[in-house]
Amino acid sequence: MKFFRKFFISAFCLCLAAPLAACNGGGLREKYAEQSLAALYDKFEGDLERGTPDRPITLHVLENDTAKSSGYLKVLLDGFNEKYKDYNIVAVDANQDQYSNLADDGPYGYGPDVLYQANDMLMKYCDGKHITPLPIEKLDAYNQLPELAKKTYTYNYKNAEYFMGVGVNMQAGMLYYRKDLLPADWETAWDDNKNGVPDMVEDMRKLYKWSKIRHDNNSAEYGFMQSFDDPYFSCGYLFSYGAYVFGSNNTNTKDIGFDNGNAKLGAGIILQLAAVMNSGCVDNSITVARESEFASGAYFAVPDTQDMYGTLSSELISVYRKQGMSSSEARAAAEKNIVAVPMPALPVSGDLTETDGDTIDAITMGGINGYAISSYTKYPKASLAFLNYATSYEMILKRNRYLGIAPARSDCNRDCTVQADVAHSLYSMVETDRISIMPSVYGVERIWTPLATAFTDIATDPYRTSGKKYTLGGGKCNYNALDKLLKSVNRNIYDSIYTINR
Amino acid sequence: MSTGRQDRLLNKNIKRSRVSKRLTAKRFFEYFFTYLALLVIAFIFLFPVLWLVLASFSESGSMYTFKGFFPSAYSVETFKKLFTDTDMYNYPRWFFNTLFIAVGSSLLGSLLVILTAYVMSRFRFGARKGIMKTTMILGMFPSFMAMTAVYLLMTQFGMINNLFGLILIYSAGAPMGYLTQKGFFDTISNSMYEAARIDGASNLKVFIKITLPIAMPMIVYTLITSFTWPWSDFILPKLLLKNKDLYTVAVGLMSLGDTEFARFAAGSVFIAVPIIILYFCLVKYMVNGLTAGAVKE
Amino acid sequence: MENTEVYTGKKPLIKRLGGWFKNLPVRIGAFFKRIGLWFKSRPSAIAAWAQGIKRSPKPVKASMCLMGLGQIMQRQIIKGILFILMFGGYVTYMVLAGGKAMYNFFSLGVVPPNPWLGIEGDNSVIMMLLGTLAFIITGFFIAVHLANIRDARRTYEYVSRGNATPDFRQSLASMFDKYFYVTALVLPIVGVFVFNILPIIFMVFLAFTDYGGNVVLSGSLVSWIGFDNFSQLFSTGLMGSTFFKILGWNLLWAVMSTALNYFGGLAIALLLNKKIVKGKKFWRAFPVLAFAVPGFITLLAFKFMFSNQGPINYYIEKFGGTGKLFFGIDSRWSARLIGWLVNAWLSIPSSMLLATGILANLNPDLYEAARIDGASAWVQFIKITLPFVIFATTPVLIGQFMGNFNNFGVFYFLRGGIICDGYFLASDTDLLINWLYRLSIDQQYYSFGAAISIIIFIIASVISLFVYVKSPSYSKEDMYR
Repeated sequence: MKFFRKFFISAFCLCLAAPLAACNGGGLREKYAEQSLAALYDKFEGDLERGTPDRPITLHVLENDTAKSSGYLKVLLDGFNEKYKDYNIVAVDANQDQYSNLADDGPYGYGPDVLYQANDMLMKYCDGKHITPLPIEKLDAYNQLPELAKKTYTYNYKNAEYFMGVGVNMQAGMLYYRKDLLPADWETAWDDNKNGVPDMVEDMRKLYKWSKIRHDNNSAEYGFMQSFDDPYFSCGYLFSYGAYVFGSNNTNTKDIGFDNGNAKLGAGIILQLAAVMNSGCVDNSITVARESEFASGAYFAVPDTQDMYGTLSSELISVYRKQGMSSSEARAAAEKNIVAVPMPALPVSGDLTETDGDTIDAITMGGINGYAISSYTKYPKASLAFLNYATSYEMILKRNRYLGIAPARSDCNRDCTVQADVAHSLYSMVETDRISIMPSVYGVERIWTPLATAFTDIATDPYRTSGKKYTLGGGKCNYNALDKLLKSVNRNIYDSIYTINR
Repeated sequence: MSTGRQDRLLNKNIKRSRVSKRLTAKRFFEYFFTYLALLVIAFIFLFPVLWLVLASFSESGSMYTFKGFFPSAYSVETFKKLFTDTDMYNYPRWFFNTLFIAVGSSLLGSLLVILTAYVMSRFRFGARKGIMKTTMILGMFPSFMAMTAVYLLMTQFGMINNLFGLILIYSAGAPMGYLTQKGFFDTISNSMYEAARIDGASNLKVFIKITLPIAMPMIVYTLITSFTWPWSDFILPKLLLKNKDLYTVAVGLMSLGDTEFARFAAGSVFIAVPIIILYFCLVKYMVNGLTAGAVKE
Repeated sequence: MENTEVYTGKKPLIKRLGGWFKNLPVRIGAFFKRIGLWFKSRPSAIAAWAQGIKRSPKPVKASMCLMGLGQIMQRQIIKGILFILMFGGYVTYMVLAGGKAMYNFFSLGVVPPNPWLGIEGDNSVIMMLLGTLAFIITGFFIAVHLANIRDARRTYEYVSRGNATPDFRQSLASMFDKYFYVTALVLPIVGVFVFNILPIIFMVFLAFTDYGGNVVLSGSLVSWIGFDNFSQLFSTGLMGSTFFKILGWNLLWAVMSTALNYFGGLAIALLLNKKIVKGKKFWRAFPVLAFAVPGFITLLAFKFMFSNQGPINYYIEKFGGTGKLFFGIDSRWSARLIGWLVNAWLSIPSSMLLATGILANLNPDLYEAARIDGASAWVQFIKITLPFVIFATTPVLIGQFMGNFNNFGVFYFLRGGIICDGYFLASDTDLLINWLYRLSIDQQYYSFGAAISIIIFIIASVISLFVYVKSPSYSKEDMYR
């Protein structure tokens, strides 16, 4: 045991010595603390970098998986390389995980030069200055971007504003439903306002009712299905009733507002919807099964984002093929029968069983994916050229054709051909503030786990056999308990940001 | 064979014949429950593996289309896709990367472990006890906090995106687990070494000419165990390999989307097969190896 | 602690524990007395040391001043030059990088990085790492220097006994013969130092910095902050209570699952060992099958199996039951139970193989004698099999306990992604290691995670050392030596 004692004593001394020896660079640190940002945009000035034929300039481009699998990335790279052949600039696929973290790789030289990611990921890099501010006057796409896209990519640092990335496409949860699964008499029985759109995809109360009817007729079939554990899709119900993430326009992380306004009514909506689904809404079962069950006809409608449209339609096509359709028939049928609409309106009272009463528009969480340039790139001018090429009118339209994305550029949004309805309605949702974009301040990544937990808790309630926490007798929501839950979400988020942070 | 042993055998036979005549019902129950228990155990261990195999033959990617445990339709399409549809998920490439890392670290790591274990068992020197106890203590640190440091270290050595870097880490860490091998060497009597030493052989010669041949079973055991760890690890490769073409199978499988369950299962089955074959051929070595770590009577 | 007791196997644990605590004040007193004595004895020790140097022969003194000089003086030119080269290498390293690295270790950098302007700046954590490396290299250098002095002295004594000076070839040969253990251990030790010990030391240092949260995110310089992380951990707030709640569950988990795996494996091995079982190899194949599938794959398969709409619930609902949320937010105990069972599924095969091997070593005469005495099968198991198996496997058992105590995979895969009321960023099935992961990797509070790992380490090592020292295999092993 002598050895162990010696070991522990020396380890203990080591531990004591470490903090005692600390001097933290002392006054020298203050000397270097101020760095002038006057020359920030100089690296973009002047002529484009040139390579030589045997040592070309290589740009590593990080794109998302669907761009790669659909073939769009190849078109993009080939087009760019052809255009800048004379400069000997070659853009290649960075071939990394689409969610890889620039903050981990960039400083050590393993990150991409240009990257395409969601706005919350890109803006997370700002505090560490991992992506570089872009010179607005040199961006071809800038003036075509809607206000929201500009605002989303604006970073506020020491009371000055910097523009960090160019939005390419908008994403938001929308309701995808099967037209061929509508009741045969929907035009007479389910279209009270006679606008040619079925009521169950316009009004959540009708969708709720229709879900019940479908499930009662056949226990293997459901109406609207959603896994509530995913905050990305569940938050919308709270936002619709007045909740917000952070105060002062999503900048003040000390003010967390998930209980704001009538948010508890939104929590009640989740509770009521969960009761007409199955236990799969508590964990991610429905999310995983979403595309295949939608195709098999078990689910009538699901919330989904635009990038999943390809999977939805290919699953449905293969089901149609099995039913005996030819390949082109199946394709046409799938295109006709998968319809996307904004999430249905919600009742002001929060009660899905009522038959009439005022409604409010649903707000959904969304994002604007875009391109940014790594601060660690050796070729800022070439990277900027690539960014301009990738966000040009032609390329965005091509991207729409290959991927069915909803362009953020207003001119492309107007002229796009694939999924044009979705693109237009997303654009108008952006204009009418029906999309809530994730904040881009430090602390935003701390909201997910507390939120997911709370949503799981609410969705569990209908499946509790005893000791229901949020349901009163007669199936009424216990709004006091729900409000308390939302308040505890706020507190948990606050704690996780501030308890150990300095 | 001593007479005592023969007596006992005789006794046993007498006893057995008597027992079998008298207690047939009891013996029947013993048989019945023993084999019932065996069947239950076999089922418990076989079933999840079997299920994974079934799932890999599922036609649909999502596992929620299954009716209970069974896919609604079967096809070999997934296996075909696994090896042909390599644009996004280059499984064959991942497989060879994994094989390369596992074989490399198995060879290098085993060499270091055997060397360490042999020296610690055979030689007596000042730092010996200190080294033994230090390794024991270090083994208790929760290791993945140290991963941050390993990552930083590898960036400094320029070994990110480098399969050799992984081999280096796996083999460098291997000597920490030398105790089992040392237990084996402890059982080999000194007289054999001494005889060779008197003949004038150097210690290096003794190690190569005498120790290695004797230790063959242990070497096989070491090779298997240090092969399986890199074969199924995913934390370290995930940390150090950025380029998708350099992924190992474990990292690749974890990066598959939610709707690729059949592909995940197919990939898992395929990665498990080599290990299963290895184990079945060498299960004898496994038993002996595991036992060598225990204290001998 | 070594002189407290010799193991007799009779005193009950409680009594021994009581004795240990009763003696604690005395022992602490003795400890400080010893420290006092140590300081008191320093002057004379230093004097003796100086005398030793003074009396050394010339070549040894030369080697003390400059590595290799003594060897050259004794006409071992090549060896001397090699030592001098090593010395030169170390000095070059210190001048070019090492000295700066040591300085940076304390300052942790002064220029904040600003990638916008292309200012690379100082990377505090890299500085900490390279500084630690510089200290380790210096330690190695000191070891080599001492070896060089020893070598000079040994050669001197060898020659003064009237032998010829050993030439370089002889020295080289002795490296593979007399000093084979040194040569053989160089590579393993360097490897372990660089890839195991250095990261651990780095982690210990990290616990005394503010590397985490905003500092990581904004890429600012890191500072030494002393014991803040620890004091926060033991504060009375949510943090402290979470720590103790998780610790309690973690201990329960480790004890229970170690017992379950151990006795489960032993039971299967005993079953297979029965005389009436035919085709042992065949039956043994099934658990081995489970052994061969990589753990993360099985864990994910089990997660799917028990998910809300998974196969298990499918059959429950098909036969008229209501589905269960096995890993739901209220399902603390069902999740824990499944955790134990899944972990058993993963670990029983290896403990079965182990027990099979051990049982093969058991002397069958013992059973024969017991049977003649009329002992029942149960008594035989308790009196003969169990003591032997436990004696033989204590070190392995401790290893298994440690493995279970730090079992990251099970609950990470089965029930990640939720947090529970009354816990700080943890769920009620999380083990300390899972909490550590959430804080350090998910939430990037690295320094805080490092502080927790130090505490996990202390707890784990104290428990296992205590068990180990009190176990029969330890005292018996000591008797061997």
